Amino acid sequence: MEEKPKAVLVIGGGIAGIQAALDLGDMGMKVHLVERKPSIGGRMAQLDKTFPTNDCSICILAPKLADCFRHPNITLHTLSEVKNVTGQMGDFSVKLLEYARFVDEEKCVNCGDCVAKCPVKVPDEFDMELRKREAIYPYYLQGVPAVMTIDRENCLYLTRGVCRICEKFCTSEAIDFEQKDADAMLNVGAIIVATGFDPYDPSGIPQYGYKRYRNVIISLEYERLICASGPTGGHLTRPSDNRPAERIAFVQCVGSRDFKNNPYCSSVCCMHATKEAMLAREHNPKVKSCIFYIDLRAAGKGFQEYVARGEQEYNISYIRGRVAKITEDRDENPIVWYEETQSSKTNKMTVDLAVLATSLMPRRDVKELAKVLGVELDEYNFFKTDPLNPLDTTRPGIFVCGCCREPTDIPESVAQASGAAERAAETVMR
Amino acid sequence: MTLQEGFEPDVLGFLCNWCSYAGADLAGVSRFQYPPNVRIIRVMCSARVDPTIVLEAFIRGLDGVMLLGCHLGDCHYMTGNYYTERRVKTTKKVLKNAGLSPERLLIDWVSASEGERFATLVKDFTERVRKLGPLGNETDLEPQQLRARLVAAKETLAQEKIRWLVGRERALVEDKNVFGEKVSQEEFDQLMLQTIEKEFAKRRILLSIGEDALSVKEIAQRVEASPREVLRNMVSLERDGLVSVVGIEGNSPKYRRAGG
Amino acid sequence: MNEVRVGVFVCHCGTNIGGFLDVPGLAKYALNLPNVVFAKDNQYTCSDAGLTEIRNAIAENKLNRAVVASCTPRTHEPLFRSTCKEAGLNPYLFQFVNIRDQCSWVHMQERERATKKAKALIRMGVARAVLLEPLEEIEVEVNPRALVIGGGIAGMTCALSLANRGFEVKLIEKEDRLGGTLNNLYMLYPTHEEASKLVQAKTKEIEKNPKIEVLTSSEVEDVKGFIGNYDVTVRQGEKERFFKAGVIIVATGAGTLKPVGMYGYDGENVITQMELERMLEKGRLNADTVVMIQCVGSRNEKRAYCSKVCCPTALKNAMLIREANPDAQVFILYKDMVTQGTSYEDYYGKARETGTTFIKYSPEKHPVVENGSVRVYDEFLGEELSLPYDLVVLSTPMVAHLDSADLAQKLKVPVDEYGFFLEAHVKLRPIDFATDGIYMCGCAHWPTNVGESISQAYGAASRASIPLSVGHVKTEPSIAVVDEDECSGCSLCELTCPFKAIRIEETEKGRKAKVIAASCKGCGACGAGCPQKAITMRHFTDEQLLAQVITLAEAVP
Repeated sequence: MEEKPKAVLVIGGGIAGIQAALDLGDMGMKVHLVERKPSIGGRMAQLDKTFPTNDCSICILAPKLADCFRHPNITLHTLSEVKNVTGQMGDFSVKLLEYARFVDEEKCVNCGDCVAKCPVKVPDEFDMELRKREAIYPYYLQGVPAVMTIDRENCLYLTRGVCRICEKFCTSEAIDFEQKDADAMLNVGAIIVATGFDPYDPSGIPQYGYKRYRNVIISLEYERLICASGPTGGHLTRPSDNRPAERIAFVQCVGSRDFKNNPYCSSVCCMHATKEAMLAREHNPKVKSCIFYIDLRAAGKGFQEYVARGEQEYNISYIRGRVAKITEDRDENPIVWYEETQSSKTNKMTVDLAVLATSLMPRRDVKELAKVLGVELDEYNFFKTDPLNPLDTTRPGIFVCGCCREPTDIPESVAQASGAAERAAETVMR
Repeated sequence: MTLQEGFEPDVLGFLCNWCSYAGADLAGVSRFQYPPNVRIIRVMCSARVDPTIVLEAFIRGLDGVMLLGCHLGDCHYMTGNYYTERRVKTTKKVLKNAGLSPERLLIDWVSASEGERFATLVKDFTERVRKLGPLGNETDLEPQQLRARLVAAKETLAQEKIRWLVGRERALVEDKNVFGEKVSQEEFDQLMLQTIEKEFAKRRILLSIGEDALSVKEIAQRVEASPREVLRNMVSLERDGLVSVVGIEGNSPKYRRAGG
Repeated sequence: MNEVRVGVFVCHCGTNIGGFLDVPGLAKYALNLPNVVFAKDNQYTCSDAGLTEIRNAIAENKLNRAVVASCTPRTHEPLFRSTCKEAGLNPYLFQFVNIRDQCSWVHMQERERATKKAKALIRMGVARAVLLEPLEEIEVEVNPRALVIGGGIAGMTCALSLANRGFEVKLIEKEDRLGGTLNNLYMLYPTHEEASKLVQAKTKEIEKNPKIEVLTSSEVEDVKGFIGNYDVTVRQGEKERFFKAGVIIVATGAGTLKPVGMYGYDGENVITQMELERMLEKGRLNADTVVMIQCVGSRNEKRAYCSKVCCPTALKNAMLIREANPDAQVFILYKDMVTQGTSYEDYYGKARETGTTFIKYSPEKHPVVENGSVRVYDEFLGEELSLPYDLVVLSTPMVAHLDSADLAQKLKVPVDEYGFFLEAHVKLRPIDFATDGIYMCGCAHWPTNVGESISQAYGAASRASIPLSVGHVKTEPSIAVVDEDECSGCSLCELTCPFKAIRIEETEKGRKAKVIAASCKGCGACGAGCPQKAITMRHFTDEQLLAQVITLAEAVP
């Protein structure tokens, strides 16, 4: 008797995890897609537009989110984490911890009546803490599953036993404070790791003034500011005084190519800085941007032309030189001090806003996950692979794709995700 | 015609499933308010909307029509919105030729993340149409005359020649033809305008003849054109088999519509 | 019974709609519309209770059309369609009316006008519903064989993966042996393994695999058909072979630019990196001073792109030269050092540590190769240097094969301005073609290195395996249909369709447009432009759209 092929576990619901899950599901395989956040979408959902086409990110992502949700072969486990893996290739036993959402996913219609009544205000993670959200909240507006979540660390009832006003106002009876965290056991034949990246925290480079100067921000914060569904409705305003930012400095390689921090190159920053400068000018024709770089890396399809367009049509100046430090003047305008390598002169430039292109790093708790999975990490804590088997981790049956493998752009993540799906399918179908 | 007090325009919107309809939904989720004048018809792609359907909306008395698609380059079906763009361009020319303000037809691009933009677009367009007034307010035509022109306009957009030109515009202007030549946009626009004018005139004549048998002078009266212009078109219509001479009255031939 | 019997369900959605529109009034209004025999309002139509009500109403009232007026079809249409199907009603006889996201939520202060608008929308929905027709999904069988064009590392990897999955593969290779560009390389970066070893290993694996048939010295001559059903003609010398395939993968790789007329290229003292690899492999390098120049023939006006692999290649060869001859001096003249990601930044570091000298030149002042020395303006030093050389090595970009456009035509797929194959979507479908059933990987797509070619090859195998695994392709029935009697064969539709889903074919009635159901996406671009109005778009017919327009206008006083 032919045994039915085992299911595949995909860890991470960003674009790479989603693509891998969809390919496997479309092939007819059962997939468990595990995502620790309340909704899938990952970093791509946080971006405004994507290079080199300047496509609206959520517009091209949303159909994939819907496909995942509706797919008969994909089981979505959001607000869940992988806690234990035993077994071997072809037969893994996986223990998941499914955190309680305190909202019934079947009953919630995403109307927002509860949010309107919740008295708690805490920094919103998806919007990079640039605005506040309530303790009951949608992770982001287009998120899937399209339901609310209660933040157990800030909910008044869950921390102090008072309130429950959301429950009173919910006409669908979707609030359920009796929910408990639960373990789930899965039996899978292969595992794909697609956990993505965290941005480097440039507080580790004090001379750049991050967190000291309000108008020095990192790229992901910029993306939320410029995004039409972000905290400022897409208006590029300075965090300090809400004035429009018209002179912008983009500082590349912050924490990258840096022996003290991350010696490697994060691949995508030259391109996303160009994109961000273009978007600023699209929003406001008075914008002038300067990108301070070391080596310009635009090797993908259409990338070099994109950069040329930036220079010629979007008033972007590319200045080769390391930024030594950033200070600010009395109006909180960042002052960028740099050495221009072409002239060997040191110079300074006063701008309205400084955007730091920080390193793409593995997730902060990647070592724990690696231990649970029994796989090795490389010297930078990315999942270790070898050049001729680029999608295989060090443990047979566990594959990897996307930024948790190496910082990379969306097209490559998608191609790798399909590749990892194929490797998993090969494993499971033997 | 004078502007009525408190005129509320009736606006129809065609929204594409992947971008503009999603943007409109997002406006709803985000509670961006806009005037309730617009009624929306969902299509899968803005390129689905045949210009004759847009004309039908005007013929039936709607004051404004919005056609919203994905941003150029983002079309879910790759190239659909490029065709929409060119079709609307032509439709506006036809509307203008018929005497109607082309401002009553809006084409714009709204992405799935532009909820606020959608609401603003609807607000602005509703205001714009409100200022234009009820359909035909910008002309001196009686409702029947306006209708006759709009029907002729719709039939013009249904004509093979026009549809062929519209569909080939992109290829003609951007690629070379078999002789290695390119047609410039100006040349093309000229050709298109001439063709529109000619076809529109012919359709108006046909519609005005109706069931009757008329002389050139009588037709010229009905369509408010010079007998010389009408005669030129009669020759063309006869050649196309759309009219035939059924008799002579004095020196003038009498024409009737023929099957063809 | 041929009578159309419409049921309308108006949803309160709690207070989301009910709090802003007169929902019971809407249900009453609906009941009075032509063809409506049943109308009801409910609290949450999408709840279990609501869905049960729909199923019961369909049965009890013999409804043959269902209309739900509630939130948005983008999230809930599939749910209600399934519900209809469960009740025995064809899912395409269901119509959705959006009175929440596009009505109650955006006209919160205008109850009367918003309700009036909702009435109009419901009336429009019912008018369309009346004209809807039952539709069935069409299943097209897929031949379980894959055709892989190109036997380089990408093609070989893809073929092996698909064969391991259990599918039959035909691997077509133009040259007389497998290996592609690897056959012209000496060592691979960054591991410095020999390329020939990799080729040998893969070739052996392929030879052992009974599911793969390799045809060397072969080229694709002709391809007809569509996804699941490709008819392929392959020429091998004098012979012609015919076979069927369900999917096609393009893995034809790329060539390298020969820098004729640039920097004094002569193939002896001024050579390419590939020629250098030949020399290194044979141990024939006799140079003490080597000057490498990057970006030769790329990143310029004629060829704007960066070829990605040339920087790491130069680093590799520089290190190999110095390994073989520790007294050799190697200079790399570059514009930007493109060593991205985690793998190559320390490779760059290694090259520096092992003694290669790097000189940055500016795009405005290119190096000049003269007799015996290279003049270059060093940007960091700010002065012009003269470097005496024994050998100049030019790093040139990968370029599309001269015959890629030819193959593209045979497959009816597009190439970009540089001749590389053009994918369906740059971001989210980088290895699919817009035409269903054809995929690509490796340098045929864009210059890339061995590791990425391998990833993409697995990726293409995954994509291709989807129709192969399922065994058939299901088509959404809302596609284009051609009335051949009206069709004049003008081919405007073929020109318009980006999916090659409608094509002109010879029939007994002459040249006619034929729709390929498996590939048609139902967008309507062809139908709305057909000069003869010979095309009907199922489920979005002109009549259905016009009915909505006309009934909307009827309310206009």
